[in-house]
Amino acid sequence: MVECPSCGRRQEPRLICETCATPLGVELDCFAALGLPKKLAIEPGAIERVYHELSRRIHPDRYAQAPVRVRDASLRSTALLTRSYRTLRDPLDRGKYWLELRGEKLSDDNKQVPPEIAETVFEVQEHLADLREAIRADPARARALGDELETRRAALQTMMNDYQIALGGNFVLWDLGRSNAKDLAAELKLILSNIAYLRTLMRDVDLGLGSLKAA
Amino acid sequence: MPQILGIDLGTTNSLIARMENGVPRVIADPETGATMLPSVVAIAPDGSISTGARAIELEPHLSVEQGGKIAAVGFPGGEYGAVIRSVKRYMGLGGAEVAPEDCSRYAFADLSGPIVRFQVGARTLTPPQISAEILRALKVRAERALGEAVDRVVITVPAYFNDAQRQATKDAGRLAGLEVVRLVNEPTAASLAYGLGKRAEGTVAVYDFGGGTFDVSILSIKAGIFEVLATNGDTHLGGDDIDAAIVNWILAGLPGEVARDRHVWNSVRSAAEAAKKKLTTDSSAEIAVALPGHTIRKTLTRAELEKLAEPIVTRTLARCSMALADAKLSPAQIDAVVLVGGSTRMPMVRQRVRELFAREPLCSIDPDEVVALGAAVQASVLMGGQGDMLLLDVVPLSLGIETMGGVMERLIHRNTTIPTSVTEMFTTAVDNQTHVDVHVVQGERELAADCRSLARFKLGPIEPQPAGLPRVAVTFLIDANGILNVSARDERTGREHSVDVKPSYGLSDEEIERMLEESIDLGEQDLEQRLLIVARVDAEQILAALAKQLGEYPDLIGADERARLAEVAERLEAARMGADRNLIANLVEQLNELSTPFAGRIMDAAIKAALEKKSVEQVS
Repeated sequence: MVECPSCGRRQEPRLICETCATPLGVELDCFAALGLPKKLAIEPGAIERVYHELSRRIHPDRYAQAPVRVRDASLRSTALLTRSYRTLRDPLDRGKYWLELRGEKLSDDNKQVPPEIAETVFEVQEHLADLREAIRADPARARALGDELETRRAALQTMMNDYQIALGGNFVLWDLGRSNAKDLAAELKLILSNIAYLRTLMRDVDLGLGSLKAA
Repeated sequence: MPQILGIDLGTTNSLIARMENGVPRVIADPETGATMLPSVVAIAPDGSISTGARAIELEPHLSVEQGGKIAAVGFPGGEYGAVIRSVKRYMGLGGAEVAPEDCSRYAFADLSGPIVRFQVGARTLTPPQISAEILRALKVRAERALGEAVDRVVITVPAYFNDAQRQATKDAGRLAGLEVVRLVNEPTAASLAYGLGKRAEGTVAVYDFGGGTFDVSILSIKAGIFEVLATNGDTHLGGDDIDAAIVNWILAGLPGEVARDRHVWNSVRSAAEAAKKKLTTDSSAEIAVALPGHTIRKTLTRAELEKLAEPIVTRTLARCSMALADAKLSPAQIDAVVLVGGSTRMPMVRQRVRELFAREPLCSIDPDEVVALGAAVQASVLMGGQGDMLLLDVVPLSLGIETMGGVMERLIHRNTTIPTSVTEMFTTAVDNQTHVDVHVVQGERELAADCRSLARFKLGPIEPQPAGLPRVAVTFLIDANGILNVSARDERTGREHSVDVKPSYGLSDEEIERMLEESIDLGEQDLEQRLLIVARVDAEQILAALAKQLGEYPDLIGADERARLAEVAERLEAARMGADRNLIANLVEQLNELSTPFAGRIMDAAIKAALEKKSVEQVS
């Protein structure tokens, strides 16, 4: 039980007081902070609306004239709300957080490139190394490599879309609650590490294309 | 509750504003009608202070007196008092971070400490103390204009200000006797001024190019929520740098000791600034700076100015591209571009911004006033007067800790919405270890040593246990001002640890307390007393300069002339101990007049020597 810093009402931990709507300043999980059910399928527009609405109510700007303990609670609750929004807004971070809630960590078995995309990763990295070299030494070749890289980028985007659809499917299975959690978690880890690697790879590709443009 | 006012504490000019019947307005000085207070502070050797236009008069410069003689006047720094301009550039800097060229412009005390110290007489003054004088002048101005006490304010800071620079600004407010209710980022404040009253929606880029700093912020505005998506900038990039480039262009070819002279430099700087402003509308500007025995005459064309400004403007555009990349937006996705800051008056800047975003930038609100007006709007938000309008700003730089091997582990990424917090678990590396040292850094580089040190603290005492067993949860919380707060809790015992955070740069709480006590002791000096001090300083300066010149250039002066100068100098020496301000001023005047031909010969000789040296070098 926690106590409201404003009206003193004792209640279960939540974002805002059930009596006077003052932020309580207590730690909560990300779903509880946003007042969302513990479900993985989240619509992006909806979560933004919830975040804005709650920000309007608990932000320190709303409590600038309040007593210090209320101001402090508003600061803590808003920091929690912001962190929760950032975590749940992004499907990759949301999936990682879900694993964390289950006491598992993606980064533990994420030291190597996932086998499914290993070949693609190595090819693209080689391509990028060639491009960097050509930008220095051979502008005509650099342009040709740049065009090929654009094609590869489109292929990577298609792979990414597929993994994101797979992730969405995995989320729905969790939410339905009928599958074996252990299997689902193993599948989730696999999809997430593929997405994480692809994301880094695509960022490197964009950097490579950016430096080609600059040269 | 008394009203909260909004302050734009600028590099070049500062303003104070408030809401009047739902409209933000800048408060003008009730005596002069001026809205902008030049951010210049003059400190006499005895500690008495002037600010704004009065301080500019005391800045060391060359003055053309009656009869065409040229006198070096003003407080030159050190024991003769100092005049400090653009103090914002020094906020939050460590002594070692002062640029070498700045050392010829100001007298600094020991530069090895965690804060810059200006030497003024027997005292040293820090940037927050000098900024506090500007804030105090604004507070007095507002109190006189409104007839009521002002003690709570919102102060704007560059969006790209780091933790130390923000803390220094808060310290300045405290030293000025103000409660800083909130620090607001300048570009975001400007967006509030533009967005007020309109139900504007969309994605906006704010290009804020001021006297000393550059910021760009990309915002999404939706149903009264102003959410910053990304910000970027440079806290040492502004109109000052363009002025300095013009100054160097004007002074090119003059000997170093002339160019570095504080009087010469400031006179040329104001000529450069005037020419830059003229070139906003004209295509060329005549520059004439009278030095003793030599007048510099040059014509600055707009094309030449643009060549000088090019590298500086290009750097601002690179920052815009970085902000767009962080916001994951292309220029075409920006619905409106807003221009803020005096430097955006330059046609070249407008042109380049127009090209980058492929649209006409907005500047319907005076770019010098828009930040102060926005600060007043945010003050009104804090008082609950703006309905559901809400600002969600971001932290401009990533925050992390130094880990094994000196690698920076990022805990809070740049452009994260604030307030935000992250909790990190710490443990011990060896058995029975009782303390864990934590080093917090800010920046985007991979190695902690390449980032900027923010603070260090020691966790503990921790109960002696085997290595890896203790668990201390440390929460790093960035508040709505963008300032870090640290707290720690022992996970096993649930006990809160007190964390004594030692900031790497800036003032400690004890130092601020002491400064507050000192400033109360000093009190206000009356005007007559101040004028006497100014006259005495003028006397000391001219006497010292004359003695130095007589020692260095004995061949350039005849016996008669020397005797006449010595006679007046002796009378001035006696008078400056007394309290007759007019007598001192008269004798300074006489001595100035008598010594002008001598000073002219010295300047001539220096220029000739420099030209000869150059031609010898060219031949060989």
